[in-house]
Amino acid sequence: MNDAYDTIVIGGGHNGLTVAAYLAKAGQRVLVLERREHVGGAAVTEEIYPGFKFDTGAHRIGRLQPEVVRDLQLAKHGLEVLPSDPSVYAPLPDGGGLTLWRDPQKSAEEIGRFSKQDASRYGDFAALIDKATGFLASIYGEPPIDPVSTKTADTMDGLRIAGRLRRLGKHDMMEVLRILPMNMVELMDDWFETDILRGTLGAAGITGIRQGPYSTGTAFLFLHHHVGITTGALRGILRPRGGMGSLSAAFEAAATTNGATIKTGSWVERIDVENGKAIGVTLVSGEKFAARRIVSNSNPRHTYLDLLDPMNLQPAFLHRVRNIRMNGVCARVNLALDALPEFKDAPAGDAHLRGAISISPSLNYLEKAYDNAKHGELSEKPYIEAVIPSLSDPTLAPDGKHVMSILVQYAPFDLKEGVWDDANRAKLGDLTLETLAEYAPNIESIVEHAHVLTPLDIEGMFGLAEGNIYHGEMTLDQIYFMRPVPGWAQYRAPVENLYLCSAGTHPGGGVTAANGYNAAQVILEDSKKKK
Amino acid sequence: MNETKRYDAIIIGGGHNGLVTAAYLARAGKRVLVLERRHLLGGSAVTEEFYPGFKFSTLSYVVSLLRPEIIRDLELPRHGLEILPLESTVTPMLNGDYLGRWSDHDQTRRELYRHSPTDAEAYDDFGKLMYQLAYAMKPILGLVPPDPTSLSPKELLSLARIGKHFRDLGEEQFYALYKLMTMSSADFLDEWFETEPLKATMACSGIIGTYQGVRSPGTAYVLLHHYMGEIDGVFRSWGFAKGGTGAISESIAGAARRLGAEIRTEASVAEVKLKNGRATGVVLENGDEFDAKIVVTSVDPKLSFLKFIDPEELPEDFAEAIRRFRIRGSSGKVNLALDGLPNFTCLPGEGPHLRGAISISPTIEYLERAFEDAKYGNFSQQPFMDVILPSMIDPGMAPPGKHVMSIFVQYAPYALNGGWNDEKREAFGDAVVNTLSLFAPNIKDLILYRKVLTPWDMEQEYGLTQGNIFQGELALHQLFFMRPAPQWADYRTPIKNYYQCGSGTHPGGGITGASGKLAADIILKDW
Repeated sequence: MNDAYDTIVIGGGHNGLTVAAYLAKAGQRVLVLERREHVGGAAVTEEIYPGFKFDTGAHRIGRLQPEVVRDLQLAKHGLEVLPSDPSVYAPLPDGGGLTLWRDPQKSAEEIGRFSKQDASRYGDFAALIDKATGFLASIYGEPPIDPVSTKTADTMDGLRIAGRLRRLGKHDMMEVLRILPMNMVELMDDWFETDILRGTLGAAGITGIRQGPYSTGTAFLFLHHHVGITTGALRGILRPRGGMGSLSAAFEAAATTNGATIKTGSWVERIDVENGKAIGVTLVSGEKFAARRIVSNSNPRHTYLDLLDPMNLQPAFLHRVRNIRMNGVCARVNLALDALPEFKDAPAGDAHLRGAISISPSLNYLEKAYDNAKHGELSEKPYIEAVIPSLSDPTLAPDGKHVMSILVQYAPFDLKEGVWDDANRAKLGDLTLETLAEYAPNIESIVEHAHVLTPLDIEGMFGLAEGNIYHGEMTLDQIYFMRPVPGWAQYRAPVENLYLCSAGTHPGGGVTAANGYNAAQVILEDSKKKK
Repeated sequence: MNETKRYDAIIIGGGHNGLVTAAYLARAGKRVLVLERRHLLGGSAVTEEFYPGFKFSTLSYVVSLLRPEIIRDLELPRHGLEILPLESTVTPMLNGDYLGRWSDHDQTRRELYRHSPTDAEAYDDFGKLMYQLAYAMKPILGLVPPDPTSLSPKELLSLARIGKHFRDLGEEQFYALYKLMTMSSADFLDEWFETEPLKATMACSGIIGTYQGVRSPGTAYVLLHHYMGEIDGVFRSWGFAKGGTGAISESIAGAARRLGAEIRTEASVAEVKLKNGRATGVVLENGDEFDAKIVVTSVDPKLSFLKFIDPEELPEDFAEAIRRFRIRGSSGKVNLALDGLPNFTCLPGEGPHLRGAISISPTIEYLERAFEDAKYGNFSQQPFMDVILPSMIDPGMAPPGKHVMSIFVQYAPYALNGGWNDEKREAFGDAVVNTLSLFAPNIKDLILYRKVLTPWDMEQEYGLTQGNIFQGELALHQLFFMRPAPQWADYRTPIKNYYQCGSGTHPGGGITGASGKLAADIILKDW
């Protein structure tokens, strides 16, 4: 038996590293156990083909919790966040397309080519979204309220949030309340008429979930993806310089310089429990580690159903855990390119390729792609979001060559017919290239290598259950005090000394470190009480 | 001619909500005039004899949530209201089998066991939870929605009470209720059951009249409504009015008349008269004018605020809210006069199942495919259908040996690709009959007469904008203090002395009379 630690963190993703850094900073002896050979979880940059470095998991980040950036001195540890400009280029099948820039004014001029009315409304829409996301940002940096608690403190928390809503003013407060449960089609109907604009904004509402733009709650996900994106930069993208790996490196440095120990290649098999208390972990190798508390940055379902002996949990609680919907629908295709894709009638130069490239010609295009997935089939014409990071960061690819990271949706984890075998993986790769070729005919001719990750591969590689990129589908019934399971949303587990900090907790998915930050605050509070 | 009369209150529209408001105001001694555009009262709750000897509940065909206090206060039974229970719901399956749920609990339990013992067990727990949740929601449905933007102590207190009400439900019920509000009926039921026809048939209640599929989040909530009737102890789940749905309207009208209300049919309102921002009366299409202290509209918000009055008279926020109020119609109705009884392959011959509802909802996927047609602007080739034979429950509805069949059909989008016309209406009717004949092959030979109603017909004939049967979609963002518009969900309007009492207000939808009753309370409070 190794000598004990104060805290063991299972999983070296950015949230786990955040918790480790905060606890170490507070003087705790912290051990981070990572299954893979390097930390970073789904935020990694890997050299799959000689000279070509890919963000194999996530290819962009969300709003990093400001306190984390400050407290962990991430800048000092080499983190530099680059907002992309343009935000997104959405090509049309018959050529041309729509580019949205960080400057709403500039975007409005673009939109004006399609519809004067849409152009005139864009600014107001962006302003409204900014207000709504501002409200969300305020509740993302703190644990969810407990809606059924009768404690005065909890009631006050609830009232504080109500107060923030009211401070938006009568009109905007009701607008926000109205938007939250809407679907993207209705939200777009309220504002815009241009298909390419509706589809391209709508895509932000479906990314990563097995829902279509006609599904209630997609407007919420649209807001979620815009939390912390600079005003007006709809579909805006934030990326760390040097790729996602450099972000994880900064978090790793923050953890280690504060004194945390990180062991990679350490696959946790189970959390050891003694009379209802978590006391340590056992690795697949048989090695054991003891600690006063365990923090799992792994998927909630995996944590509760696999790492823990179910005997330690109540049946009603297990029922809720089993009912967490994952519904993975994302696949990833990484392309090594020896030239840039040429979209039909695209603007001159490569400026338009420096943000996200979004295949989202209309809301119905997205909905039809979802219809397939709903019936357990791969989308005939999938939604695609691609980035070419090598344009702004040449170190990622050999001279004159490029890397392209592509998110493909919908590729349902649970296929109705067949499984995710090599044949289906190849089919997925071909489909992606065929789809892109409709817009950029030269794509097939410039591909040197294509690396395809099915939802099954993503699950295996990153431990994302069912390949769901959020550790739990981001739908209205699985957010805030419902996440990961109602009654246990405040990062504590029903087993004493066990905590959760993954994206499966509030405020959900996206590289924000907010989950880790909130969890760390709760843990530090508890450890104070114990002293 | 141009007569001018003076009333305390004028009610626009003789639908059941308008009549309820009229009755309560008359009961309080007000001089009330109800103006109905059509030749008969009831709005969507009417009984019509399109074909000699055959009486049809043209649109609304079942009743579940008619508020018991209204039945009592207005003594509706004295005015001819008689509710006959629908005894069962039978779902024919694609494999020729069926799933039946009967008023006899043990019989239902045995039937469920036949399909899935675990579902049979879960069914009672589910029923218990839903019963508790319905009980928890009931006070909210009977509540005038507060204005969350208001700072007045009264409103804040009301909000606080609601907050406390939900908090005090405790963990299990609170979270279950939250899930109901936010999940799709398919997902919600997946957590409980495995039998497809059971899940599908229960899920249907979530899509009736909506523009959503059973997999669309937000559709689970309506599951509750099926348990609410039970609480009131009026009758279990759905019932059927003797003499057809029109009999309900007639009984309320009877009560209103007896209490002194004046009711005029074929009196179509053209506009609401305003004098310096206050409603002072109405002008009819024929030029007749009527003056009153207040005007109450029971028709939908679009007509009430964008047609009857000049939107320029409204605050911009409010006008905009009404403009974007979602009111897309998605349902159709097919009424058949039959020469005999349909013969269902799953339950051949005459049987108790013909005295209940036959639900064409074999699987979740079947329903979702039906929605996919509508999503892209087509009527469902194989729609969800709720079929009943009123003449089996109330022989007075058809000549001896003959029958009337009421078929509620989902989906038939108002905005059909290329628009509705006679040809498409009949094509829609054919799709319905063809689908039904898959389960009851002899149906085609029995049809003496067929009346097909599309959302377009409902708009033209019955004044439902876009043919929406709820006067506004029951979507999360159009409920409670959002219905029909933020800050104006308390039956008052930005126009002084102009009130609203239709389904377009909270709680909206269905023959409940709740909107009419709550509006009357507010009006009398302001008097």
